[in-house]
Amino acid sequence: MNISPTLHIDSNADESRIVAAGDWRLVNFHVAAKSVLPALPNIVELDGSAVSSLDPSGAYCLLQQLVAQGAVSNSIQFIGFQPSQQAILGLVQQHVTTVLQSDTPKRHWVSTIGLIAHRWVEQIGNTLNLIGRLGTECADLIVSPRNFRHKEFTTQLGAIFVDAIVLVMVVLFLLGVVFAYLLGRQALQYGANLYVVDGTSLSICRELSPVLVAILIAGRSGSAITAQLGTMKFDEEIDAIRVLGLSPYQVLIIPRMLAIVIAMPLLVFLGDLTGLGGSMLVAGQQLNITPVEFINRLVSALDTSTVVIGLSKAPVFAIFIGLIACQAGLQVKRDARSIGLSTTTTVVNSTVAVIVLNALIAVTLVKLGI
Amino acid sequence: MDEALIDVHHLMTRIGDRVIHQDVSFSVQRGHIAALIGGSGTGKSVLLKVLIGLLRPSSGQALLFNTDIWHASRDELNVLRTRFGMLFQDGALFSSLTVVQNVATPLLEHTPLSRKSCLQLAQLKLAMVGLPPDAAHKMPDELSGGMRKRVALARALALDPELLFLDEPTSGLDPVSARAFDHLLRTLCDSLGLTVLLITHDLDTLLSITDRIIVLAQGQVLGNGTLAEIRQLDDPWLQAYFMSRSTDNIGAIPSLSPSD
Repeated sequence: MNISPTLHIDSNADESRIVAAGDWRLVNFHVAAKSVLPALPNIVELDGSAVSSLDPSGAYCLLQQLVAQGAVSNSIQFIGFQPSQQAILGLVQQHVTTVLQSDTPKRHWVSTIGLIAHRWVEQIGNTLNLIGRLGTECADLIVSPRNFRHKEFTTQLGAIFVDAIVLVMVVLFLLGVVFAYLLGRQALQYGANLYVVDGTSLSICRELSPVLVAILIAGRSGSAITAQLGTMKFDEEIDAIRVLGLSPYQVLIIPRMLAIVIAMPLLVFLGDLTGLGGSMLVAGQQLNITPVEFINRLVSALDTSTVVIGLSKAPVFAIFIGLIACQAGLQVKRDARSIGLSTTTTVVNSTVAVIVLNALIAVTLVKLGI
Repeated sequence: MDEALIDVHHLMTRIGDRVIHQDVSFSVQRGHIAALIGGSGTGKSVLLKVLIGLLRPSSGQALLFNTDIWHASRDELNVLRTRFGMLFQDGALFSSLTVVQNVATPLLEHTPLSRKSCLQLAQLKLAMVGLPPDAAHKMPDELSGGMRKRVALARALALDPELLFLDEPTSGLDPVSARAFDHLLRTLCDSLGLTVLLITHDLDTLLSITDRIIVLAQGQVLGNGTLAEIRQLDDPWLQAYFMSRSTDNIGAIPSLSPSD
């Protein structure tokens, strides 16, 4: 059924006459591509009377081999082919030269670096633009507060704050438990049981709770904001808002930014409470520190300033997460893949931003002696 | 060659409680371009999904190349899949791949060819559907609607199928691109000897490139024949459908008549 394709010079005629035979089809392409021909004159005749079947891939394989050996594709004469095969050859013949000339463009590494740098600069420009736009839109809202979208704001606050309460509390409670347990084991060796209260309260309120809540919110709400805005951009909803004479910044972005800035300190505070609760539980079980002793120690060990520092880091993180998320959402292009990419970008960038910011704040505070 | 490439016998399809096809039977001969028409919700797209093996019918048979796709073995099905191509309505291009990679995907998956050969064959298909060489390395989102359709057609043709399914090939295109696409389809089908089953709402496509028309209504085949035969049918929807052609109605108004 399937005859292996062959190609050879007709020995009975002169060397410009080539004979093809067999099934020149895609299934035989890897066999067909191997037949070897000597160098050919510019004008050749192709005898196809022995070709049993032909499809475009086979036709391409045939013509490409003739062209590779010096034949000019447009002056190849076809003889003995069936009309249907002739039609396929005619169609493929027009394109052989174009296809052979096409090659994958390779990018030089210098231009890759340039492209990345360009993207970075563009990104910075876009972020500055977003900050500027938000500034003017906020000023606009202060002048005419009636434009504020209460409903959108409360919906977002519900999604970012209320829906995250249980998650934050569970995570921080378990963290408090583990942290107090590990610290307790060390403290027991020195009989310094009570110092566990100092250690856990300081680290939870100042570092762990703000950073962990920020990372949770970046993953949970940051990605949601990007995906929402991205889908809206994709479906041209944002353009529709503009056409209605409304500002997408006032309708969509300011309510989200405000919601995340308000939600975050509240969540951090809840995180502080449950984290300390977890520690208190372990302290009671492992180190025989009663809740009353724990709280008494807490009052003397935990400065108000420590809690305030932890809480005031939260809105800073929130602003960064919000900006990154909104920015990425507005950058979505009109294809489905770009929503996924932007969402990933949001989570990665805001997590990194939170950790870097936290380090900067810690160093600054130490230098300032707070 | 009066061989039927598509043969549908008493097909019945249900989605949930809704009966989409009650009793659908028709066949498409080799070398024909057949159009499937019918009002919205008559199950044209569903029928196409049954035929290409994406949706299981409740009863009846759907034969492609004399093989029942719903009773074929895995191997038979894989062979079958290389013998037909499908053009989805919005192109369904893989958004993470460039145009030429999109077209090369079926080749890379189904043939033992080297990557280089696959990309060359993909370039050939792109040239055949009339795309300029510089379009090959663009991403799908950088293309216009007409170009996306052409890329999708090139991908459907990648494995040199004998049978092609097209879901609304000209929807979303401007009239000029739509006619150009029709012309391309007709030329390709004539030179490659393709058999085509297409869904369309576009009367111009119907009038210019199809050999046979199959009308679906109320879960059944209302008519199956040439354009002239279908026009004779006494059905209010069909009459309204053919009357909706603008040139028939507003041809008298010079300012509105199309430039053809």
